[in-house]
Amino acid sequence: MSDTTPIDLGLGILDHQLIDSEGRRCGKVDDLELEGGADSEPRVAAILTGPGAWRGRGRIGALLARLARGRTVRVPWSEVEGVEAGVRLRKPAAELRLGRGDRRAEAWIEKLPGASLE
Amino acid sequence: MNVSDLLGLAVRTESGESLGHVHDVRAELGRRSLRVTGLVVGRLGVLERLGIGVPDASERLRGDDVVPWSAVVRADRRGVVVRDGTKPG
Amino acid sequence: MKNIFGIALGILAAIGGFVDIGDIVFNVEAGATFGYQLLWAVVIGVGGIITYAEMCGRVAAVSERAVFDAVRERLGFGVGFVALVSGQLVNLLTIAAEIGGIAIVLQLLSGLPYRALLVLAVIGLAIVLWLLPFGWIERLFGYGGLALLVFAVAAVKLNPDWGEVAHGFVPSTGSGSLAVYGYFVVGLIGAATIPYEVYFYSSGAVEERWRPKDLGMNKANAIIGYCLGGFLSFALMISAGALLLPHGISAEFLGTVALVAQAPLGEIGLLLALIGILFAVSGAAIDSGFSGAYNVAQFFGWEWGKYRKHAGAPQFTIAWFVMLVLGFLIVVTGVDPVLVTEVSVIFSVVALPLTYIPIFLVANDRAYMGRYRNGRLANAFGGFYLVVIAIIAVAAIPLMILSNMGQG
Repeated sequence: MSDTTPIDLGLGILDHQLIDSEGRRCGKVDDLELEGGADSEPRVAAILTGPGAWRGRGRIGALLARLARGRTVRVPWSEVEGVEAGVRLRKPAAELRLGRGDRRAEAWIEKLPGASLE
Repeated sequence: MNVSDLLGLAVRTESGESLGHVHDVRAELGRRSLRVTGLVVGRLGVLERLGIGVPDASERLRGDDVVPWSAVVRADRRGVVVRDGTKPG
Repeated sequence: MKNIFGIALGILAAIGGFVDIGDIVFNVEAGATFGYQLLWAVVIGVGGIITYAEMCGRVAAVSERAVFDAVRERLGFGVGFVALVSGQLVNLLTIAAEIGGIAIVLQLLSGLPYRALLVLAVIGLAIVLWLLPFGWIERLFGYGGLALLVFAVAAVKLNPDWGEVAHGFVPSTGSGSLAVYGYFVVGLIGAATIPYEVYFYSSGAVEERWRPKDLGMNKANAIIGYCLGGFLSFALMISAGALLLPHGISAEFLGTVALVAQAPLGEIGLLLALIGILFAVSGAAIDSGFSGAYNVAQFFGWEWGKYRKHAGAPQFTIAWFVMLVLGFLIVVTGVDPVLVTEVSVIFSVVALPLTYIPIFLVANDRAYMGRYRNGRLANAFGGFYLVVIAIIAVAAIPLMILSNMGQG
């Protein structure tokens, strides 16, 4: 018997929080890349995240993708540690090129006195 | 194809009978893989678009309304075509 | 024992934090216009916020998600984004109103010019938020807001006809213009159920890692905290009704609000009233600023948290700062802050369905909530309030226009 669990991609994974190996929030699952399906069941090849991945999310998504100058980050499914409330990843965000917004903002804020205050 | 391309696609049989739309994509989550096993198909009304009236996941996971992938003949931007005689369930 | 103490402190902070500029303006104006006849509307509003705050807290404890995580997951990207934008616009108006309120109170206390005090207010808020840990901020403004209890004393001292007061708890159509009455019903319910409160409550619950074992505390917090907040609202309306209505004084200025405590209690009453309003409204400005930051961070998946160090949740930090600045820009145009307050509440009423329907859906979703999904009671109240919300959402703007913003 295989130890797999059934899950619905739309409800159970899409739009869920990405969490890196250090517990850091680093974006949302904006889309999922599928591969195969011609002769057998397709598999989820990768998580797509970032403004570029909003292109497939309806008219609003497509508009925002253009406005935000759509960069897409592709996280291969092999980097996924587990799926609970969020999707846990095996590596830190920086290694997967995730959480860029926060890293850039952090570099800027750290220059201000009191940045390490709560 | 991405998951977003599949969601909302119209589903019909080879002979043209409409079965509704793709509400969601059923998959099996393993240790290192995530395999698509079927499509959750149903009628897509206004309420369903907003997530109201869509059977919640625990009701779905009992196998209702799922068209197994083996029944899918073709799936592309135009829609999903399944073999005649397929009924979600 | 320590747990009970902690809950009590939290509740005290919540009471002081429950009343914001919208509650102050609408409760006092309602009292000045209709006396005690609208007390029932406050009861309805308090019931609504209790119902939905409890739901949000439960969703947070069980599914470990805050409101906007759940909104995006359940409604999808497109509808979720519309909810985000409308929520942010309402938050902005709320922040603007609170900042304006702070400046007015400072002006009443100091006599300095209003616009200068606006700048002082926003700088002061930013400094407080930057330097103080959030736990201290919450306690500082929560306890300071308790000075509003002076209005309860004033209400008693003004010797209202308690029989008439009791009558006010029974729904009626009031005397006088129906449009004006309806406007106040909408405004009072809207002020009590203003969205930033649930966004803030839910995010706090996630951050404090509430789990199913905390569900009892969640219920206690929601019920006791907001009931006592409602008690403050009653005090405002009753004392305004006792003092302002018989003298035909309308409450277009915040100074008049303070007068309500000054007349029966003298200078000490005035001072406590002003301090109470200052702290309550400042706390509300902070909470609504954070709510704006929570919503956008939760929608896009950024790091967030009020207890985090600023560099630990950088985009979130920038977001609350930007919200405060934008709110300031709205109100530095010189627009009347009482007007901004009323508009912010009315517009938030229009957007209430987009706030509360997703919460109701998620709280009922077995996949998220398991056996903690809404029971019959939560669904009865939750459903009832969705109907109320739908009605007032549709009626809000027409009533605002027909009643000439409550002026008749």
